[in-house]
Amino acid sequence: MSKSVLIVEDEPFILEALSFLLKREGLNVVAFTDGDGCVEHIQSIKPDLVILDMMLPNRSGMQILEDLRAIDNFSNLPVLMLTAKGQKKDRAAAEQAGVSLFMTKPFANKEIIRNVHRLLGI
Amino acid sequence: MSRSLLGTRIRENRRSKKISQTELAKQAGISASYLNLIEHNRRGIGGKTLLALARVLKVDPRAFTEGADQALVGRVNQAAAATPTIACEVDKTEEFIARFHGFARLIGRQYDRAKAQDEALQAVSDQMNSDPFFSEAMHLMLTNITTIKSTAEILSDGEAVPDDLKERFLSNLLNETERLAQTATDVLQHFEPSTQSDGAADDTAPTETILEKNDFFIEQIEGNFISPYDYVARLKLSKPDENEALDALTSYSSIARKLPIDTFLKAAKQQSYNPIALSQILDVSLNVVLRRLAYLPKHDDIPRFGMLECDGSGAVIFRKQLPTLSLPRYGSACPLWPIYRSLSQPLQPIKAFINTPTGERFLTYSITRYVDQNNIGLPSRTNAIMVFTPDYEMFLSKPEIALQTNLAVGLQCSVCPRDNCAARRAKYLLQ
Repeated sequence: MSKSVLIVEDEPFILEALSFLLKREGLNVVAFTDGDGCVEHIQSIKPDLVILDMMLPNRSGMQILEDLRAIDNFSNLPVLMLTAKGQKKDRAAAEQAGVSLFMTKPFANKEIIRNVHRLLGI
Repeated sequence: MSRSLLGTRIRENRRSKKISQTELAKQAGISASYLNLIEHNRRGIGGKTLLALARVLKVDPRAFTEGADQALVGRVNQAAAATPTIACEVDKTEEFIARFHGFARLIGRQYDRAKAQDEALQAVSDQMNSDPFFSEAMHLMLTNITTIKSTAEILSDGEAVPDDLKERFLSNLLNETERLAQTATDVLQHFEPSTQSDGAADDTAPTETILEKNDFFIEQIEGNFISPYDYVARLKLSKPDENEALDALTSYSSIARKLPIDTFLKAAKQQSYNPIALSQILDVSLNVVLRRLAYLPKHDDIPRFGMLECDGSGAVIFRKQLPTLSLPRYGSACPLWPIYRSLSQPLQPIKAFINTPTGERFLTYSITRYVDQNNIGLPSRTNAIMVFTPDYEMFLSKPEIALQTNLAVGLQCSVCPRDNCAARRAKYLLQ
């Protein structure tokens, strides 16, 4: 059974590009554009990997990450944070909150696919 | 300089004056071997001998005996510490200063300058980091670039993309490119002095600042509720600024009286904002009509008009900028602008469509009039104005617009990328 990736990204064009890339790799993709209710979706979908944008409407990627890490079942869930806010302090905050990998925008498609494979162990 | 290096200072001073040790010793009344010991800091020196040496070398004896310039020692040591990759002999700083005082001062000065520049750079960096607009704009631009980069890679990586998705991605590319261009334009406007000015920008005249703050429409003056004199008095400007503002607002007030805004707007809509027709119908000069166009209230139904005014030499006297067309304050504008053509054809109105290197298109009207024409025996001064609008579609029909030819102009040579322009007089700086 193919692995599933949940993307939370409020920029529709980036979301389309990412979804296409991951589906092309044979992955199941579920997408959300709003931070609100995201943790509940993750709990019900139980993805193998979450790709989180940092700046989201209603609830930031950082808050979602912190919420996830506070839930036992998701303390080890791979979370790739993708953000245009690539300052050292943002990276440090994400690492402190338990991010698995922090990537800055703009990214190279090959790089993100390579990292997704690594985080999924495939 | 510590006293232990006093001899070093004497030696350096003697050498700089190209006096031999023997000669100095002879003139100071001591033996050459004793002077040699002094210069190598092996003998103490004071009193009479020191005074004698200072007299021969023509220096103030305190220059030899005063303690080292501790501030300079500190600065040279800090300069050394600032570049730890170069192992400087900091234990010999005092000796270095004693021997090469000029170079030491130079190092100190360079260190101070570098430090001041670092601090200034840090201040700018802090300002940018704390500027919410800049931060948001950069975030937006990176987001736009991410979409463009990722989508372009998908379309060009050689792997199959279904036709419907291909079209979708191409459309995304186009949309995102437009968004990126808009964001970049917004950033430029944000940092353009006259559009963000609170009156402090160097290249914005005080009158322009006053009018800009009011969107070039002051209701109190339009309604004659306040005289220009009282209005300007309340602003508490310096005397020269006050005079300039009073002149400009008196002129504005006069236009508002000749062409009350309601009457003018009604006629303007009926005449499709044609200034020549308006001039005839409202029985005022074309110059007054064009100026009235620059002082219209801001409204979705009313086209935006900018204005540039210059004297006979082309020097800018007044400008009303629009977000999509910023105008230089100090000359050096594109010589192809119709306003400059108008200077050579006084009283002849010129209508022209111009387009800028960034693709913006404007309808312009220009006219030059004579000022103080009755000064017998003196050349008449001239004054030209050009009004321009990007909103011509609000009052011109499509066929009419289609018939107009565009005049390709720039803003200033230094920022104009147009190749093979016969009017170019300065290099394009952004390539």
